[in-house]
Amino acid sequence: MSSSNRKDSVIVRIAGAAGDGIASAGEIFGRICSRDGLHVMAYNAYQSAIRGGHVWLQLHVGSQKTLSHGEKPDVLVLLNRTSPPVHIPDVKEGGVVFYNSSLITEDLSKMRDDLTYYHFPFRELVNEPGVEAVMVNVMLIGCVLQVLGLNAEVGLNFVKERLGKKGEQVVQMNQRILKLGMDWAKENAKQLDVSLKGDGKRRMFLTGNHTFAMGLLAHGLKFYAAYPMSPSTGILHYLASKAKSHKIIVKQCEDELAVVNFVIGAAHAGVRAACATSGGGFSLMTEGIGLAGMMEEPIVVISVQRGGPSTGIPTKHEQGDLIQMVGASQGDFARIIIAPKDIEDAFHAAGRALNLAEKYQTPVLVLSDLFLSEHFQTAEPFQVKLPIDRGKLERSVNGQYKRFLITEDGVSPRLVPGVPGGMYCSASDEHDEEGLVTSDVLAGLPEARQIRNRLHAKRLKKLDVMRAEDMQPPTLTGPEDADLTLMGWGSTYDVIEEACQYFKREGLRVNHLHFTDLFPLPVEKVLEVMNSCKEIIGIENNFTGQMSRLIRMETGYHIKRSVSRYDGEPFTGEDIYHRVKKELTYV
Amino acid sequence: MSEVRDFVHKVVPDWCPGCGDFGLLAGLKKALPGVELEPNEVMLVSGIGCSSNLPGFINTYGMHTLHGRALPVAQGFKLANHKMTVIAVGGDGDGYGIGVGHLVHAMRRNIDMTYIVMNNAVYGLTTGQTSPTSGLRMKTKSTPFGNPELPINPLTLALGSGCSFVARVYTGHVTQLVDVVQKAIRHQGFALVDAFSPCVTFNKINTHDFFKTNVKDINKLGYDSSDIHAAFREAAREDYIATGIFYQKERPCYEATEEETLHVPLIDHELGLSEEDQAQLMAEFI
Repeated sequence: MSSSNRKDSVIVRIAGAAGDGIASAGEIFGRICSRDGLHVMAYNAYQSAIRGGHVWLQLHVGSQKTLSHGEKPDVLVLLNRTSPPVHIPDVKEGGVVFYNSSLITEDLSKMRDDLTYYHFPFRELVNEPGVEAVMVNVMLIGCVLQVLGLNAEVGLNFVKERLGKKGEQVVQMNQRILKLGMDWAKENAKQLDVSLKGDGKRRMFLTGNHTFAMGLLAHGLKFYAAYPMSPSTGILHYLASKAKSHKIIVKQCEDELAVVNFVIGAAHAGVRAACATSGGGFSLMTEGIGLAGMMEEPIVVISVQRGGPSTGIPTKHEQGDLIQMVGASQGDFARIIIAPKDIEDAFHAAGRALNLAEKYQTPVLVLSDLFLSEHFQTAEPFQVKLPIDRGKLERSVNGQYKRFLITEDGVSPRLVPGVPGGMYCSASDEHDEEGLVTSDVLAGLPEARQIRNRLHAKRLKKLDVMRAEDMQPPTLTGPEDADLTLMGWGSTYDVIEEACQYFKREGLRVNHLHFTDLFPLPVEKVLEVMNSCKEIIGIENNFTGQMSRLIRMETGYHIKRSVSRYDGEPFTGEDIYHRVKKELTYV
Repeated sequence: MSEVRDFVHKVVPDWCPGCGDFGLLAGLKKALPGVELEPNEVMLVSGIGCSSNLPGFINTYGMHTLHGRALPVAQGFKLANHKMTVIAVGGDGDGYGIGVGHLVHAMRRNIDMTYIVMNNAVYGLTTGQTSPTSGLRMKTKSTPFGNPELPINPLTLALGSGCSFVARVYTGHVTQLVDVVQKAIRHQGFALVDAFSPCVTFNKINTHDFFKTNVKDINKLGYDSSDIHAAFREAAREDYIATGIFYQKERPCYEATEEETLHVPLIDHELGLSEEDQAQLMAEFI
């Protein structure tokens, strides 16, 4: 293979037990790559245990944007004794394996003879006080940087910045061990046949939870409440760390019932308020979602899906909560559901959700998932695109104020409580334009029925306006006259794009229909796009094809074929490609 | 300066004639001008139940929310606009039953607000079932053979949960009620006022006559309300029913821990980040 044809991406997997420092090693490696101008997509497979268990991190590093964490690793780094039999069978043919022979003493070459094994006895090479066993990770990173031909200086500088606070001694020790790894590999290991060329741009390396949180902060969030629940907790951690410096209130509450109602209280007072949870916590919030619908409170709830039902697979991925979002709480009321497609979109979606909530004075549900919220990826710094728009928020009152005034768009002026002369009471009971409840004395009288009809229709009028003014139809990428269309929603955007590249290489005409605005669907615009497709196959990380079901319910369009993955792992492009081909052979 | 009539609402309460909640409403309307509050400075938050209809019968800002959730809504509101006086109201089912988890945490959290529980020891709006404060063996529609469970003692619960102001009143004794509610509002921190408020329709045991005969205002007996042991003793006694302020201890309220942020109420903050701030946040991930 000539050098111009050398691969421009590589997959590195680090495997061990929880507590072995995988996440930290992976983050250091990923950030060194992203500082070198490379693109990285990393996926962390972990368990609900703080120590022990079986965890691994896979990083797909490339000169171009990498669209998934990939399937088979080129490079495997083993950190504990139990990981070899689990991961060695996965390595790409001819791949390489690095490990510490002070820890893993058995001869791994018996497991597969097509791989190259590099090992060193860490304890013999570095036997000095103050060097903890976990520092072998730094040496292994050094080895990997070396065989990938990456810039040593970038690595050494990063270690210096990262550990600077811990003092010169710690920095020097880590730099020495990183260098030791590079030198060891220079002498003992062969360079991989890969050409990784950074473009010199220093990129961020972060997760969707980081970008959701940053997006909320950048778009005027003032109040955030949460109850810890994987995989949403990263948002709480980030915002809690910024609460003092950015003058916001972040409150961990006693349960999700409290969380959503704290947020409703804060939103009612007139601040931008949000919370995040996962499906189980969202179940507890359900009654509050309806309260926000009835009292017309602008709240943003981010729900980060994980494997269900019930406690399910807490640290694994699924897109199984869409129907829960659509049906949350009794009765009809207007809500918006959006599902950002990648980590950059998550930043903008957070701001858009805050705007939409205030524009329509109703709950906006942002649907994420474990993959989007927790995988690390490189991204160029974002710019706020949407100016803060607070809708019909008012801070003074002229004449008689009616909180639920019937208007053309169903949205009433929203007075910040505290203004003299504006007193009103918002109620979860059906009420009139002033907020007076109809359910007790008036119940059953013709007047009460009339009020009910008018106010209920006012609130639901918002759905029409949302469809007309804000909800976007799905995007269609790839050849217009494709023979096959892959339909996805939310976080699967990049992996479906990657799958399309596999089909393209084979000369097949496949395109990609993608939804990020899930409810209410702008029906006519959706049908126009879908009717232009020949055959659509749904690609979803759930058993029943929930998006296909929603599309059928809302538009009548029946997507007959589907690829479902519900084992807890996210798709990769390669995986979708194979699954779609398998599905098609059953014609 | 406000007067009682400024708080009078055009809607006439639809409580049963003789309901104890009338006393609470009257007392509240008297108490508010006395602590120099204007109608627009007060946010009343309630849950669901007969007594939770109260915010609809008084001219202040109000939120009539979900069963058991008045406290979370009220606390969220208070943190977002701490310049307003926040009072949560509701019944015993709301506060000591479905919402008791929030109550315990609100008490230890100590946000500066007042919570008045109109305690009638029965579910009234659902037509007479046992409540968390129904007496042992009390017969109700849901316990026709007698309530098999011990009632909650809200006061010992509050004392054990770090509540910084613990009081009990009977809504038929309006002078005491006004005094206690005013002190509760002035108290810096979370104040619980358990208010016996007889249900004349569904509770034939804990009637107006019952309370008139059995309550004793401990604050008139040379009682030291800073002594938590005495408070537990009075709250647990069975020979008479103690009312008054059982315990009051100033400790920093929750808002004090957020002093830098709440220097200005959240609702008056500038929104969004400067480009510099944004760049700084992004740089942390490079």
